[in-house]
Formats: sequence, C-alpha cells, structure tokens
Amino acid sequence: MSLLEVKNLRMCYQTSQGLIKAVDGVSFEVKKGEALGLVGESGCGKSTIALSIMRLLPPNGRLLGGEILFADEDLLTKDEEEMRKMRGRRISLIFQAALNALNPVHRVGDQIIEAIQAHERMGKEEALRRVEELYRLVGLDPGMMGSFPHQYSGGMKQRAIIALALSCNPELLIADEPTTALDVIIQDQIIKEILKLQKEFNLTLIYISHDISLIAETCSSIGIMYAGKLVEYAPTIALFQSPLHPYTQGLLSSYPSIKGPKRRISPIPGEVPNLLHPPSGCRFHPRCPRAKEICGKEEPKYRRIKEDHYIACHCVNNSAL
Amino acid sequence: MNLGRFILNRLGQIVITLFIITTFLFLLFRMMPGDPTSMILDPKMPPEAKELIRKEFGLDKPLMVQYLYYLKNTLTGNFGKSFYYPETVLEIVKRKLPPTILLFTTAVILSYLIGLPLGKTIAWRRGSRLEMGATVFGLFFYTVFIPWFGLIAIWVFSYRLGWFPIGGMLTPEVWAADVGLFPKIWDVLYHLILPLSVLTLLFFAGSMLLMRNSMLETLREDYILTARAKGLPERVIKNRHAARNAMLPVVTALTLSLAFSLNGGVLTETIFSWPGLGKALVEAVLNHDYPLAQAAFLLLAILVLFANLLADILYAYLDPRIKY
Amino acid sequence: MGRFKENFNLFRKNRLGMTGLFILLFFLLLVILGPILPRIDEMYRPMTGVDKEILWSTPPSRAHLLGTDFMGRDILSQLAHGARIAFMVGISAALASVLIGTLVGLVAGYFGRLTDTLLMRLTDILLTLPSLPLIIIIAAALGKQSLWIIVGIIGLIGWPSTARVIRAQTLSLKERPFIEAARVSGASNFRIITRHIAPNILPLSFLYMTFGVTGAILAEAGLSFLGLGDPSVVSWGMMLQWCFTTGHTFRAPYWVLPPGLSISLVTFAFYLIGRALDEIINPRLRER
Ligand SMILES: Nc1ncnc2c1ncn2[C@@H]1O[C@H](COP(=O)(O)OP(=O)(O)OP(=O)(O)O)[C@@H](O)[C@H]1O
Ligand SMILES: [Mg+2]
Repeated sequence: MSLLEVKNLRMCYQTSQGLIKAVDGVSFEVKKGEALGLVGESGCGKSTIALSIMRLLPPNGRLLGGEILFADEDLLTKDEEEMRKMRGRRISLIFQAALNALNPVHRVGDQIIEAIQAHERMGKEEALRRVEELYRLVGLDPGMMGSFPHQYSGGMKQRAIIALALSCNPELLIADEPTTALDVIIQDQIIKEILKLQKEFNLTLIYISHDISLIAETCSSIGIMYAGKLVEYAPTIALFQSPLHPYTQGLLSSYPSIKGPKRRISPIPGEVPNLLHPPSGCRFHPRCPRAKEICGKEEPKYRRIKEDHYIACHCVNNSAL
Repeated sequence: MNLGRFILNRLGQIVITLFIITTFLFLLFRMMPGDPTSMILDPKMPPEAKELIRKEFGLDKPLMVQYLYYLKNTLTGNFGKSFYYPETVLEIVKRKLPPTILLFTTAVILSYLIGLPLGKTIAWRRGSRLEMGATVFGLFFYTVFIPWFGLIAIWVFSYRLGWFPIGGMLTPEVWAADVGLFPKIWDVLYHLILPLSVLTLLFFAGSMLLMRNSMLETLREDYILTARAKGLPERVIKNRHAARNAMLPVVTALTLSLAFSLNGGVLTETIFSWPGLGKALVEAVLNHDYPLAQAAFLLLAILVLFANLLADILYAYLDPRIKY
Repeated sequence: MGRFKENFNLFRKNRLGMTGLFILLFFLLLVILGPILPRIDEMYRPMTGVDKEILWSTPPSRAHLLGTDFMGRDILSQLAHGARIAFMVGISAALASVLIGTLVGLVAGYFGRLTDTLLMRLTDILLTLPSLPLIIIIAAALGKQSLWIIVGIIGLIGWPSTARVIRAQTLSLKERPFIEAARVSGASNFRIITRHIAPNILPLSFLYMTFGVTGAILAEAGLSFLGLGDPSVVSWGMMLQWCFTTGHTFRAPYWVLPPGLSISLVTFAFYLIGRALDEIINPRLRER
C-alpha cells in the first residue's frame, strides 16, 4: 500500500521576471516503509517538492495543480489548521542547509519539547523523558539538552534536528540533503544514523540528494529529476543495471563505481536549463546525445515501461527493451 | 567573563568617553577667539569673587595647568557658580536631573511598549492596510517638527479644551500646601500626561519600524521554517520564535535611538516648560550662563551613556550567545 | 542609463516614495515663488517689506493670502523664502556630513587596524551623544550666530551614521575578488579606492544624504526656534520663534500652522524618498 502518492504535481514561483515552473507534472508514489531517493542537479526542483508536500512554500510559491495523497487524503485540499496538525506529527521534514535550523536563543531541548507539546498533551516531565530517549537514540548526550545551539557542533546540531524530526513518531520523513553542510566523516555517520532509524521504526523515507551514489546506499527506489520534471523512476537495482534515460546514463557513467570516490554531478556537457524559459519539448534535448527531431518539439510522456520502472523519453520505446 | 566584569568593562569605556567629552568642552570654551575668561568669569561679578574663581580654576596659570584644574573640578562636581542664578551650578543641575529622567525614561519605555508590538504585527501582516497606515502615521511623527507639534498639542488640549495645564511640572500651591503625598504625585502626573504623550507619539515610530524590519529579516531565517515544519501554531511562531529573535537588533539600535530621543526631549522640555536639563541647557545658553550650559550638557551625555549601559546589559540578557 | 531608468521605474512603484517626491515638488514651486513675490510689490519682501496699512498681525486677506506677522510682514513671502533656506541648509549640511562620513568610513574600512579603531571609536562617541545639545553647546561657544556657521556645525556632527554604513560596505567590498585582482596588478591604494570602491558605495552615500537632509533641516529649525539661529535670516524655524515670542501662538493659527507644517512636510518627504531609495538599493527590503 502506498503511503504517499504525488499525482501530476505542478507548482511555480512568481518572480519579477516571470513564472519559474519549478515542478511541472511530477508523479510518484512511496510505499509504507520504503525509502525513495530523489536525485537531480541543483535547481531542478527537489526541495520544492519537499516543501509542497509540507505545504510550506514561500509566499511567492503557487500550486498550480495536482494531488498529494497522504494516507489517501489530499493534502492540497486541507486547511491550514489541519495541515499544521500533520506537520511534525505525521510528516517530518529535515530541510536543506539546516545548520541554522535551530533557534539560537532557545535551549535545544526546549525546542524539541515544544514540538512534542504542539501535538500531544504531555506534561513537561514526560516530554523531558521523551527528549532524553530521543537524544540517546540519535547518539547525543542527554546532558546537552539544556545547552544552546551555538554550543553544539555541526554534526551534533544535525543529530538534534533528526531527534526533533522523530519526536512525534512521524509516518513519513523527508530528508532534504540532510548532510550537505557537514564534513565527509560526519556525513557518513549521520546517513548511517538515518538508515538505522528508518529500519528500526519502519519509517517511510524520502531522501533528497545531489549524490546518486549516496542515494544508492540509502534507498530502495530512485527518482531522477531534471528541470522540474521526473525523468526516470525505478527500483535502485534496476536503475543501476539498466538505466534507460540518457540523462540517467550520463549521471551513472560519471560514477565509475558506486563505492568509488564521491563526486558532485554535472559531468554532462551543457548547462542546467533556466526554468523561466525551459527548452521546448523534452527539456533535456539540448544536452542529450541521442536527441532526435521530435525531442525539441513534443514533450515526452511520463509512462510505465516495465514493472515499477517509469520514464519520460522519446528515444526509449518498448520495443527497444 | 561574568556580568560584573562586563559591567566594569563598560563603565571603563564610559569613563573614557566622559574624559573625551570633558576635554572637548574645555578646548571648546578656552580656544574660542576673544577673551576666554569671559566664558568662565561672570562679567557682573565683584572683583573679589572673580579673584576667587581665578584661583579655583587656575585661570592665571598656563593652559595645561588650567586643564588639570578643570578636570579635577569636573570630577568633584565643582562646575562653578551660575552667572544667572544665585546658586552653584551643581545645585541647579541636581534639581534639574530628576524631571528629565522622569519624562525621558517614561517616554522611551512607553514608546517601546507601543512600538514593538505594533512593529511585530505590521511585519506579520506585511502588505496590509494596517502596515501602510501605521507606517505613514509613524513616519510623520518621526519627522515632525517637535516644537511646532508640541505647541499645537498645548493649543488644542490645554488652551482650547482645558484638559491639561499649559506647562510646568507642578502646581506650586499644591506642593506648598500640607496635603500629603498622593495629591502631589497626582499633580505631577497631571502635568506629565501631555508632554509624555507628545514624546511617546514622536518616539514610537522609531522602534516600530526597527522592529518591523528586524522581524522581516528574522522571518526569513531557517529556524522559522523549522518552527513551521514542527507544526507549531502561528501565534507561537510569531511570538516565541520571530519576535523574540527580532528583539535583538532592536535592542542594539536602542543605543543610537536614545541619543536621538534626547534631542526631542530637549525641545519638548522647552515647549512644555518642563524644568529639566534640556530646558536648563537652552536657557543657560540664551543667558550666556556658560558654566551651567556645560554642566547641563555633560549631565545629558552621562544620562545617555548610562541608558546605553542598561541597553547593553539587556542585550546580554536576551542573547545567550553573548558571553559578556 | 538603462539602470537609472530601471531604478526609476522601481521608485515609481513605491507609493510612499512618490508621495514624498510630490511634496518636494510642491515646495520647490514655493522656492521659485520666493523671488517673484517682491517684484510684484515691495511689501512682499520677507524681512523688510511692510504693508503701510497693516502694522500688526492680521488674518489672511486678498493682499496677504496667509496673513501678516506681528510687524505686518507677509507670511506667504516669508514662507517662500523659508523654503529656499530650508533646501539650502538641508542640502549643504547633508552634503558636508555625507562627504565626511564617506571619507571616514572609506579610510577606516580600507586601511583597517589602528586607523579603523581610532576612527570608529570617535564615530561611536559622536553617535552616542545627543546631537541637538551638542550643536547648541558648540553654537553657544562660537558666540555669534550666522547661518553658514550653523550649517557647518550641523555638517560636522551629522556624519557618524554614514561613516558606519560606508565602513561596513567597504569592508565587504574589500574582500571581493576584483579588488584583490586590482591589488595584485599593482594598483595604488588611492586608485583602488577611487576607481573600484568609491563607485560602489556612492549610491549608499547618496541614500544617507536624503536622511541627512531631514536631520539638518530639523536641527536648523530647532536652533532657530530656540532663539539660537541666525536672526538675519527668515527661516521657517525663525518664523515660528517670532510667533512664539510675540505671544501669537494661541491667537494666530494662520501664522503658527504654515511654517511648522512646512518643516514637517519637507522632512517627511525627504525621509520617504530616502526609504524608497533604500528599498531600491537593498532589494531584500523589497521582497515579499
Ligand atoms: N522562493 C523562490 N523564488 C523564486 N524562485 C525560486 C524560489 N525557490 C526556488 N526557486 C527556483 O526554483 C527552482 C527549483 O528550486 P529548488 O530549491 O526546488 O531546487 P533543488 O533541486 O532543491 O536545488 P538544490 O539541489 O540546489 O537544493 C530553482 O530554479 C530555483 O531557482
Ligand atoms: Mg534543494
């Protein structure tokens, strides 16, 4: 059964130069207990999807259409108060660049207690005990609860944020590049932590990253995004064994081995398109080694091509498989 | 460092600043063209009295020695005798200080009590009519010509409507009579209301606009998004996370706005005949009573410096990252 | 030039800024009216002109649209003359303080170290002192009051806020690669400051000038009102002082209202324009 189902989500940002269609017709689903990875170059709309699910878009963000079904309820039709009750309790978000995510003037423990008490009637004592437990769970010393964020190191802050995200036992956890601001060793620890917790609590996870090798370690299926669109979606193994979309192939070929050194992706020649004026037809066609005439004219349909394998590309047809 | 050391440190800075101001005053009045002693010696004084002051201030000695005398006298509160009043300058400024503190501090506190919540609200409801209205209203009073506005207020509320006295701080008859403390306090309050309202109206815009800008900055911070993602109610986000943090820059700016506010204070005291230091300064200058003018100025400066010290302590208390 | 047009379009969208601009235009008209009035009739000279039939204060009439002051002088011509004085005082004092402030901020920010410490110490002291009492005490020590001396004092005292902002901006500019590149290629300090840093901070200086004008006009008017202004100049503050000291405050609304309202409106207008410019220079203030 799928816990989250995003159907044809479309949204844009209003700017003085025009509309930026940051997410344009994206559909995917996440099954209960599954970990889905979203990968794509910077600016392709990954964070925007996360924020749309939370309904926390900035004031200039506009939802244009689509559905976001969470446990069969459409989040986009919920009112603000219903949505508030979902946030942090049923869906948690660890967002990007989170080093400044804790309020500097409040004690870290209090900030977690506050989150718990926003959703559950719970006395201070009991909440304290819960936070203590959470601290142990994420590998923090409960003695740090009374300290302020500036007394935490980067890795400790990130652990605290994970504790915060888990404080109300959410069903879905969205982690938007939770480790970009950290150094490599700490990154590794944090990722292991998240994976451990995901298994332990049978969490449903959406993990967003630039880094496809990282996603491969973490997630059971992967969605590849390009310029506001999902271009390929498949179980991790299938994707690595037979990537179909030229963009995915480009991405993977830049990683000779999954276990090899990690690198940022942008090895494919050409530039990330400007979302104010995206290319016509298939948005990848100006950079695509296999582009045909039709690619510049017609948008490829996002369709299922095999069991659990979806793709949007003119160059791949069923017979080619 | 602990709080005590922090305060000591700041006190040290205040002493240095005061030293610089005193030196500046000394130079200002001794280096002027013309006979500098005319600014220290009352022309109307009998010769014996002049001689006494000459001694006390070392006026027959070289400038450097005069300076040392001056520092010593200032330090001990010996500002000389007023040219205009029969008292010593110290006695006069001692009398003028409490009214200024009363009017000035209540006005500043009141304007912050009004300005901060208003600033918070208009930042939260950005783009609303309320924001536009409060901004225009506040800015007008922020740049209004204070004496004129004060006169109009007196004209309307005291002269026409007769609600308040025309000026002053007390009714002499009430204070001469044996009526107990309460009527006296009431009498001062009665005199205080109009100048206080005028000053508050003039000041609140400063803190309101500061708070608004600071709040808008704060609302962009990551921890506000965290607070939303936690599912906190809007009210809690606004108060406990945004406004609490937005206070910090406002308190920092308090330091500057206090000096600015004192300008308004001087003018308001003059208009409302409020017997404070500001009015004393202006009158002393008009009467060529230079010793009193200098002392009044020095005391006003000390007042601001100590108010700033309080603001610094408040800041250290509000921001846990400050380790004094 | 294209950038100017773009900025002007941004300015036009700022309703408060445009309001300020219109208020200013109105007072500029008044400035133009100033020299015309005495040509119509001698009695419209702001300081010396007297209506032979009127020797005291009268309410508005056809000959005197805003009435006359205690000597029978025309209030409208005084107001028009005062407008010229206000612009003169405001702009020249603000110009002086912005020049000093920019220079101090540039030098402190660019050279850093001891220069910076000393200059900023001075700036902070001046910034924490209440400016009006300071102006009053300096004016008192100087003795005789002339308009240009007052302008000079205001200019000499008003620079610290500009200096602070310019210093901060200089510090951040100093770290930019193009400054580093200029230094590596052997440009002198003078050249780096004038060619590379100054052009980038001038908009900011200009912005602070609009705020400075507000402060300078208010300071001059305050001094004049207190009786410490130049008695030979008809400024708005002086008009109010005459009205106040001759005891007309509560009797002649036609005389009290115009000068005070003019001071308040002009300073308000400069402030509004300053804020609008601020939003153009700092786009973060504009974001919704
Ligand atoms: N508040 C905003 N206003 C206008 N445009 C925005 C805003 N936020 C994001 N965008 C634009 O929307 C597009 C998608 O942004 P998004 O943050 O979702 O990308 P991302 O995939 O998360 O990138 P990254 O990997 O760098 O985090 C980008 O082109 C970005 O410039
Ligand atoms: Mg992102």
